Amino acid sequence: MWDDESTAFRWPWLALALGALVLLLLVVWLRPWRRPSTAGAAYVAHAARLRSLPRYRTLVRRQVVLGSCLTLTSLVACSGAVVLAGRLQQRQTMTQEDRTRDIVLCLDASGSMAEVDAEVLRQFRTIIAGLRGERVGLTIWSGAAITVFPLTDDYEYVVEQLSEAEQAFASGDVYSDEYAIYTAGTVLDWDVQSQMGDGLASCVQRFDRGDEDRSRAIVLASDNEPVGKGIFSVPEAADFAREKKVIVHGIAAPKTAERPDAVQQFQTAVTSTGGTFSLLGADGSSKAVIDAIADLDAKPIERPPLVQVLDRPQVGTVVAGIGLVGLALLWVGQGVLVLRDRGKVRR
Amino acid sequence: MTAHLTRIKSRLSIHAHRKVRGMLEGEYAAIHAGRGIDFNDLREYVRGDDVKDIDWKASARSRQLLVKRYVAERKHTVQLCVSTGRSMAALAALPEGGAARTPVSKRELAVFVAGVTGFLAVQHGDVVGLVHGNAERQHVARPGSGELHLERLLATVHDAIRPDGPPGDLTALLRHVVRTIRRRTILVVITDEPAVTEEQAMLLRRLTAQHEVLLLSIGDLDPTTPALAGRRLLDVDAGAEVPAWLRRDAELHRQLGSLVADQALEMRRRLEQLGIVEEQVRDLDGAVTTIYRMLERHRHARRR
Repeated sequence: MWDDESTAFRWPWLALALGALVLLLLVVWLRPWRRPSTAGAAYVAHAARLRSLPRYRTLVRRQVVLGSCLTLTSLVACSGAVVLAGRLQQRQTMTQEDRTRDIVLCLDASGSMAEVDAEVLRQFRTIIAGLRGERVGLTIWSGAAITVFPLTDDYEYVVEQLSEAEQAFASGDVYSDEYAIYTAGTVLDWDVQSQMGDGLASCVQRFDRGDEDRSRAIVLASDNEPVGKGIFSVPEAADFAREKKVIVHGIAAPKTAERPDAVQQFQTAVTSTGGTFSLLGADGSSKAVIDAIADLDAKPIERPPLVQVLDRPQVGTVVAGIGLVGLALLWVGQGVLVLRDRGKVRR
Repeated sequence: MTAHLTRIKSRLSIHAHRKVRGMLEGEYAAIHAGRGIDFNDLREYVRGDDVKDIDWKASARSRQLLVKRYVAERKHTVQLCVSTGRSMAALAALPEGGAARTPVSKRELAVFVAGVTGFLAVQHGDVVGLVHGNAERQHVARPGSGELHLERLLATVHDAIRPDGPPGDLTALLRHVVRTIRRRTILVVITDEPAVTEEQAMLLRRLTAQHEVLLLSIGDLDPTTPALAGRRLLDVDAGAEVPAWLRRDAELHRQLGSLVADQALEMRRRLEQLGIVEEQVRDLDGAVTTIYRMLERHRHARRR
């Protein structure tokens, strides 16, 4: 989730200063060059005799072990404290590369378009796998528009819905129950059907977050063969799309070619929004659809990377704790040794 | 400078109350092997006088023991031989049974015992000489008589002993005595060595042939004594502090005590083999008694 994690001190100078102070104190305390001051001290001679005693060797060994352990644990505790003082922080950065693109599939649900819709859906489903950050919505229309699902980036759900739609359209039989149930509600009035202008306008309205700078595209599949009169004409709908900065990619059904006026109107409307237009050939080649969809260019949005800074006191606390516990244990051990010696002497 | 001799005399006068001073003189007189033949006078007998000298007839007359005094044939020389290494500047052993008392410096003790023996010699009209030295160099002072001379010698010894001076070297000092002292003397060796090495034993054997050798050893302070727990102790030889964790340990104290006792016993045994009377001086109060004991033992040793 986080692209970049770096751990650093909030106040590195404080950690450095304290580290230097510890070193300085260590040097001052040890002072290897110092000779013991004679003030207030008494002299004793022939103390070298002590060194020949077995007890001396035992004591020295014990002192060396205890002393080095004490020094080590104190240093550990000190370094823990230094780390705590320096305030160790973890900086997490997330570069947000949302390819903020919204695509609404805008399919003509009139009976003549079933095959083309199925083809578009099939192609689109394969593309879904490669998407990242885009939102996809599906709207079908004839006399009226129905939102099958709104814009979403839940691709699992999208694929599921697309499969369902594809299945409904691919049945081939416009009079089948499946088709009827799926497209139910797109026709309110049998005299008003396949209104491309209304459909396109409805699809343009499906885009939300109007204040965000997102690239918006519509994949419009239709044969532009309206029955009756709708609210929006095709050029009006195209104007509306342009106003909303929505790019419309048009996919015309093969049968449209029989009506050059309709093709002309479709193409003009689509290209006026900056989209591509493809008239599917009689061979039903899907290449044009793929190209059209692949061309939908994503608009990467420059969003500042998300930065989160967390205090990480655990390391310092644990290290200092280990040092302190070690010190306590050593003191207890020392006490036990002293008590044992006393007991031995008394006996 | 402090008048060493004055202090020694005042301390001896305390002992005089206990009838010790006269005893000391008697013992000192007894160490002379040859005495004059010319009768001088009679004086009261003091313990330590040779029984041979008692004038029984005169004693019977005066109802007190009188000894005959002779004019000494010649003046004897008491040669003080003091090891003045830096270890002599350390503290002396605590007197036995007096745990609460503060230990005295070995330097004071050395000056004191040298002063007592020297004073006895001066009183007796003998001359006193001094050899002292450390590992670096040794000095000989010409023998002389009189309290002033003795005072000077004591001051020399006192000033020669410094904690920052060179270490002591009894071997070199004895060798120096062998080399420089020609005449027959009563050699009083004052040292703080805890043991006698093979070489020192050889030199001492060589010296006993020429001199009457007496040895006063000055014991060291046991650094592990609990009575000193509050004070910092510096090892004068190494210049390092004797750490408190060592000094606190009771087991170490016990082991060191037995080691020191063994060493002292071994040293005495060794010196006895050489025919040298050795006594260990512990404190100022006991010093006079110790010297007396040494002189007494020496007399008996000679009687053998």
